[in-house]
Formats: sequence, structure tokens, C-alpha cells
Amino acid sequence: MKKFVNDLIKYHHVTVYMAKSELKTEVAGSYLGWLWWILDPTLYMFVYGFIALIVFRASEPYFVSFVFIGLNVWNFFSHTVQASVKLVQQNSHIVSKVYIPKFCLILYKIYVNGFKLLITVSLVLVTMIAYKVHITPRVLYVIPSLLLLAIITFGISCILMHFGVYVEDLSNIVKVLLQLAFYISGIFFSLVKRVPAPYGQLLCTINPVAFIIDTIRKVALYATNPGWKVMILWFVISGILCVIGVKLLYKFENSYVKII
Amino acid sequence: MTDIKEKKKVEYSIEIKDLKIIYRTLQKTSIRQNIFKFQKNSMDKFEALRGVSFKVQKGQVLGVVGKNGSGKSTLLKAMAGVFAPDEGTIDMKGYSVSLLSIGVGFQRKLTGRENIYLSGMLLGFDEAFIKNKEDEIIEFSELGDFIDKPVKTYSSGMYSKLAFSITAVLETEIMLVDEVLSVGDKKFREKSYRKMRELISDDDRTVVIVSHSTDTLQELCDKILWIHDGVVKEYGEKDIVLPHYNEFMS
Repeated sequence: MKKFVNDLIKYHHVTVYMAKSELKTEVAGSYLGWLWWILDPTLYMFVYGFIALIVFRASEPYFVSFVFIGLNVWNFFSHTVQASVKLVQQNSHIVSKVYIPKFCLILYKIYVNGFKLLITVSLVLVTMIAYKVHITPRVLYVIPSLLLLAIITFGISCILMHFGVYVEDLSNIVKVLLQLAFYISGIFFSLVKRVPAPYGQLLCTINPVAFIIDTIRKVALYATNPGWKVMILWFVISGILCVIGVKLLYKFENSYVKII
Repeated sequence: MTDIKEKKKVEYSIEIKDLKIIYRTLQKTSIRQNIFKFQKNSMDKFEALRGVSFKVQKGQVLGVVGKNGSGKSTLLKAMAGVFAPDEGTIDMKGYSVSLLSIGVGFQRKLTGRENIYLSGMLLGFDEAFIKNKEDEIIEFSELGDFIDKPVKTYSSGMYSKLAFSITAVLETEIMLVDEVLSVGDKKFREKSYRKMRELISDDDRTVVIVSHSTDTLQELCDKILWIHDGVVKEYGEKDIVLPHYNEFMS
């Protein structure tokens, strides 16, 4: 644990710089550059809007904000988790040349996706203003929710990164699982309303992503209180996942080079 | 008795004891393989290093020789902290270490300048320090305006020139050099050779060089470590070991 904190401080600058470089690379590679960070969720929003409104006729109050919140949280989670599986291989040029604590690789992905998340939060704000949503101080609960999101993503990603080094086709499995998780997280529909009771509410409790999305919608759009007990429970579980993940990485990280 | 006295006098900056590095080939598996093969994979073990021990005095230059696949590069990587030893210990006495080798990983889409920072920080230097050295690196690399172009537009010569300049200018207390003395055109090669000499001549810097060129090693090194099939075949003064090695290889 002490080692973790020391490394965190020592490698902080590298991690941030790696994140910056990655963001720059993404921009440098395409004509529309950073606009894609906003275009991407916007276009998906139209796709899911079409499915939800036209096909299922399942609208929600403040529908556009509703979908954007779901998409932002989901993109952050799924992009980081999906990337984590192949992260060591992808950075083999670094990993085989210098020592870097491997959790830093996850961390820099989290910074990259977190930065994009913060940009797309502006989309949510714009749509909320357009809807004239009544905003209460409860909106501040968004901060612990996003923190929880970051911690649980970090924990899961660390564990997956470790196994991703050894198991070549883990990436395929994770892809399918993420697809499943996408539909049971209620990105473009309300789990509580659309999934028959008590399963909808249950999913919102036992699926951390669904829980976070649901919480943010509650506090930002509908001015209701978050489920405190569940949130604290999830903080504890994610903490445990992080400890397991970081321990795994520390134990095996120096043998990764021999395999990739 | 004399041994103990000597130990007190000389300061070692690298101490390696019984170092073993084992590669397990076929270690990577897929889920299908795991399901259908219940018995443990018959893992092919390949011992790249099979118990290597040696010490290097502070300020000395050690040359490592051996035929291809004898474990030289593995040894350097282990010393750089990239590999964990499977057995034995590596003690670098807390000095800063850098591994200088051909084709340091650059981000191909970033410019040369950005890559200087990225590599420098990965080597453990802070941003301010690199900023100080930036001009020197760029000048040494002879890249000129190309420094602000993406690395993917570089020729392979330019690529390795930049790689060499970064590690040569951002000096560390222990430098591990893997066959980089033949980089670029003739002029750059001579220049980098001079730079290497300059770096090596510093009494506080310990250098380990892997090379196939015995002439280079004869000129630059103090001692030679000869590795053969993962074990130390001979370790001692260059005037003794190099002739033996040359004889063996011819």
C-alpha cells in the first residue's frame, strides 16, 4: 500500500504526460480532431433516441439529457475496461524498455477517458439548460458518483489487464460481457420502469454502472436523493477490487515482458 | 582477511548474485486451450540465464560478450528492472539506471520533440530537467526541422539518431548500452562514439556495454564478462578475456 502511494506520486507526471500524448495523437490523426469527442456521443444519442422513441415508444422526462448521462458514464467505463485487456501488449515498446508500475497504464487510460467524460458533461449541461431542468444543490452528489465510477473502473481494469496478458482471447469474452452489461445498465431506457419489478430495481443495485447512472440521473435531473447505503457498499467493494488488482499487478508485472 | 579489506576500499555499484531468468514459451494460452487441456501445459522452459554472478565497481566500464542468444540482452533488461529475476538478486545500489538500445519505443504519431519528453519522463527525469536538455538533444540528433514532425515520417536512421541522443544526453549514473554504437551514417557514428567515450570517462558513471565488436570493447572497457549459454564463461581484465573470446569465436 505504501509502495502504491509512493509510485503514484513518483509516476504521476509520466502518467499525465502519457495521457496528454494520447489525447494529442487522437486529435492529430483525424480531420475533425477533438470534435469527435462530442460528435461521437451525440451521434449515438440519435441512434438510441431513434430506437427508444420510435421502436419502443419509451420516452423519459428530459430524454436527451437522460441518454447523455447514460452514454457518458458507459463510454468511460467500457472504453477503459475494453482497453485494459490489451494494454500491456499495446505498450510493449514501453514495458520492454523501462520499468513502470503497470497500474500507471490503467491510470493513464482513466485520465484519457476521464478527460473526454468531462468534455461530454458539457453536453449534459447544455441539454439540461435547454430543458430548463430545475437544478438543486443535490447535483453535487454527481461528484462522489463519478469518483465511485473511476475507482470501480480502475479496480476491474487492473484485474482484467493482469489476466489479459496471459489469456489471449480474453478480449473477445470481455467484449461480449460488456455488450450484455450495456443492455442491463439502462443507457437509453429506465431499468426500473422497463424491467419488470423487482428485477429492474435489483439491477440498479447490483450492477454498479447502472447504479451510478441511475444515481446521477436522480440527483441531476429528478432532484431526488441517492441511495446512500448502496453507494457506500459499492465504495467498499470497489476498494477491495482495487487492492486485489494492484496486488496482482505488483506480484506479476515483471514477468509480463517475457510473455508479450 | 585481505578480501575483507579490499571490499571496504572498493565501492561496487552493481552486484548480481545467482541470477536466473527463465522464459516460459507457450505460456500464453487461450480459453479453449484451457478447457480442453486439463493437464498443465507442457511448458517449454528456456533458461536464458542460469545463475550469473558478478560485481562491477563504481566508475568501471564493463563489456559483455557472447554469441547470439547467449543471454546478453536479457541480462541488460534484468538490470534495467524490466524483468524480475526468477532466482537470485540484482542490486544496483539505488543508482539511476537507463537502458540505451536501438529502437526505443516512440509514439509514432507524436513529434520528435514530444517524444523526447515522453521518453525522458519514462526514464525517470522530470519535465524541467528535460526542458533544460531539450536543445542539446535536438542539436545532437541533427534532426533540424524534423524534430517538430511526427516520428512516423522519420527514416530509420533519423529514428535511431533521436533515440541515441535522448539517452546519451539524459545521462544516468549507470548506463546499460545494447549495441547502439553503430547508429546512423559514418559521421554520426563517429560523433556518437565520441559522446560515448565522454560519458564513459566520467569516474562516477558505471557503464555496461553489450557489443559484438571486440575492437570497440577493447578500446572502451575495463573488464569483460563473457556469457556463454546463460552462464559466465569468463570474467576478468579485457586483455585476458578478449583474446580467449576471439579465439573461441574464430
